[in-house]
Amino acid sequence: MKTELLIVGAGAAGIAAALSAWEAGCRDILLVDRREKPGGILPQCLHEGFGLATYGMELSGPEYTDRITERLAHTGVRLALGTEVLKVRGDRTAVLSDRGGLTELHFERLILAAGCRERSIGSLPVAGTRPAGIFTAGQAQEMMNLRGQDLGREVLILGSGDLGLIMARQFVLAGKHVIAVIEKESRCGGMARNVRRCIEPYRIPIRCRTTVSAIHGEGRICGVTLRHLDSGAEELLPCDTLVTALGLIPDRELVRGLGDPDWLFLAGNCHRVHDLADSAVAEAETVGTRVGGELAV
Amino acid sequence: MRGFDLVVIGGGLLGCFAARNLCRRQLHIALIEAREDVCTGVSRANTAIVYPGYDHKPGTLKAEMTVRANARFAELCAELDVPFSRCGSLMLSCGEKADAVLREKYKNGLSMAVPGLRLLSGEEARELEPSLTAGVTSALYAPTAGTVNPWELGIAAVENAAANGAELFLNNRVLGIRKTAEGYRIETDREVFACRAVLNCAGLYADRVQELLFPSEVHIVPDGADYLILDRAAANKPTHIIQYEPEDGGKGFNAVPTVEGSLLLGPSERANELDFAVSERGIDFVRERAAFVLPGLDLGELIRSFAAVRPNPRREDGSSIGSFVIENPAPGFWSMIGIKTPGLTCADELGRFAAEKAAAFLNAGPNERFDPRRRGIKKARGMSWEQRAAAVRSDPDYGEVVCCCEDITKAEVLEAIRRGATTLDAVKRRTGACMGRCQGSRCQQKLLALLARELGVPEDAVTKDGAGSEVLGGGRHED
Repeated sequence: MKTELLIVGAGAAGIAAALSAWEAGCRDILLVDRREKPGGILPQCLHEGFGLATYGMELSGPEYTDRITERLAHTGVRLALGTEVLKVRGDRTAVLSDRGGLTELHFERLILAAGCRERSIGSLPVAGTRPAGIFTAGQAQEMMNLRGQDLGREVLILGSGDLGLIMARQFVLAGKHVIAVIEKESRCGGMARNVRRCIEPYRIPIRCRTTVSAIHGEGRICGVTLRHLDSGAEELLPCDTLVTALGLIPDRELVRGLGDPDWLFLAGNCHRVHDLADSAVAEAETVGTRVGGELAV
Repeated sequence: MRGFDLVVIGGGLLGCFAARNLCRRQLHIALIEAREDVCTGVSRANTAIVYPGYDHKPGTLKAEMTVRANARFAELCAELDVPFSRCGSLMLSCGEKADAVLREKYKNGLSMAVPGLRLLSGEEARELEPSLTAGVTSALYAPTAGTVNPWELGIAAVENAAANGAELFLNNRVLGIRKTAEGYRIETDREVFACRAVLNCAGLYADRVQELLFPSEVHIVPDGADYLILDRAAANKPTHIIQYEPEDGGKGFNAVPTVEGSLLLGPSERANELDFAVSERGIDFVRERAAFVLPGLDLGELIRSFAAVRPNPRREDGSSIGSFVIENPAPGFWSMIGIKTPGLTCADELGRFAAEKAAAFLNAGPNERFDPRRRGIKKARGMSWEQRAAAVRSDPDYGEVVCCCEDITKAEVLEAIRRGATTLDAVKRRTGACMGRCQGSRCQQKLLALLARELGVPEDAVTKDGAGSEVLGGGRHED
């Protein structure tokens, strides 16, 4: 199989790149994503704050997804969902896997829009046991918002980045008790907007200059040791759920070792982690317009 | 009450391999395990090395068994369809005292005909393994050393035992053992077993299990240890097993390129701890050692740290025991107490050894129908594209990748559940899902849904590793 332009990742950036490339004149675009639905992580982001730049209003993740997939439907971009890209090779071929089989695809250009992954608790040298009840923030968001799952009642958030703050509010709105947001730096890591919206109205304590030094619990987590980084003092903090927001890592696994070939382009969070979806989209549009123009018929 | 010829207590590597080897005889066997899965204790967390056999005193059971087991290991893993990497090992020294230790080990190894041993200069060692510290003064190279995933091996053995007629009883904690006219009566928290003979392979608790009926001359003093795992993408990973023999005679250090492609670092040592909790000191120790022995290693690629507990056998007076201990306090009752390094290497040999003793006692003839072969779960990763395309054609679930870090498909997960996995960790141990760099943050929820559906239970009943480790709902609350 052949395609002029292969775009990996049908999240905000991938869709934006596809739309721009189509508008620039490319008429042979395949957009693939491992998820069953388009939008990447947008459908799990129930909070508002998307699309201010594009649509002049603040939309929720699902609303924003509806808008862009609607636009996508009016183009000839082919969308392959539930499809894993197993391999990208230097000879401009990719191997795709879905329930129908394996496909070897030749492409002229590749835009990688694979987003990012979350740093997990395993990457921190934290002492103690390894019980159930520890989730990354994005994972917790997916489980609560897409799967309707109840994760726990007494929740501790580790990391005060935007995702940590957003999840803190989400747990409160779900009727859970958020004990605190733990932050090793001397100030909150998230945007002022998120502190104002997610933390202040609910009086969630942000405990700066502290970290989790040990995890306790045999089956399920029952608490952590909180270390005060300035004094070295420690306290025991009971909880039944630990949500980690330890930062995002651009996901470029698929092109690892391929160097910097002239047919490969990065768009969105797999290029660099953007604070806002709008900013990832703007970057992806630039890339899509450029690549689409090169491939225009 | 259930009746058996022999009951094996404990589903660690030793119990699984004892059961497997007992099936070589015409015996009705039960394996009972306290936990929800096999290989959850000592077998779950260790250094994963298949030793070449130069470490032990020539003429001892341990030394002979290790050399023999190593020679047979590739064949064993082929029979059980378990990946084995004979990557070779380099034991390093960085000074005269440790040089002398290595020379002793070399001589020791030669006297036991350990194949291919070579004593290398520091320069030669660095040629073989450029990532080593410049401070290396000599190295003992053992091309027959290798690594295997310990739980994968144990699960393979118990699956093979079950296919040959052994019955597995999980979630059965032994509460009492009594002598009867016919043999023994074992009470667990769920069942009563009657049997003619007992083989106690209860790992960390083997001394206590024996003491339910007999005194034990050997006692287990557990040692804790910590390990780190680096992602397969970590720069400057060694390709051989690196073992460091410190100049001060202190605790050694290992770096093991695992069969999964990650790098295992450790252990640290914590005396007298029966605690599967990682210590901060232990992590620091392992990091310091790693930075010293492999200076170019990217420790920022840490994906997991975990704790292990080792059963150290001690006599009543507290003195430690260097050999394998197989106690036989009464006719028809054997205990393997305090089997630690190289227990993984020798698991099948120890199983055979114990099985032969038991079979002689029970007068059991050979089981002509015993089939030593077991087929593992067919893994998509590592298949050629043609093989993988064929796999998807015959089962569309092979086309659906569930764990994207480790490239594990839905077909593999479903097969693991079909083979008896009931928890997230049991699926992880059978498929490798969740073992990669994201540590399950992208696939655990999918595994949870598949487990609930296949087991016919609500999602909030699914656990990480047994009752009390429910993933949803904040776990069980007392209120």
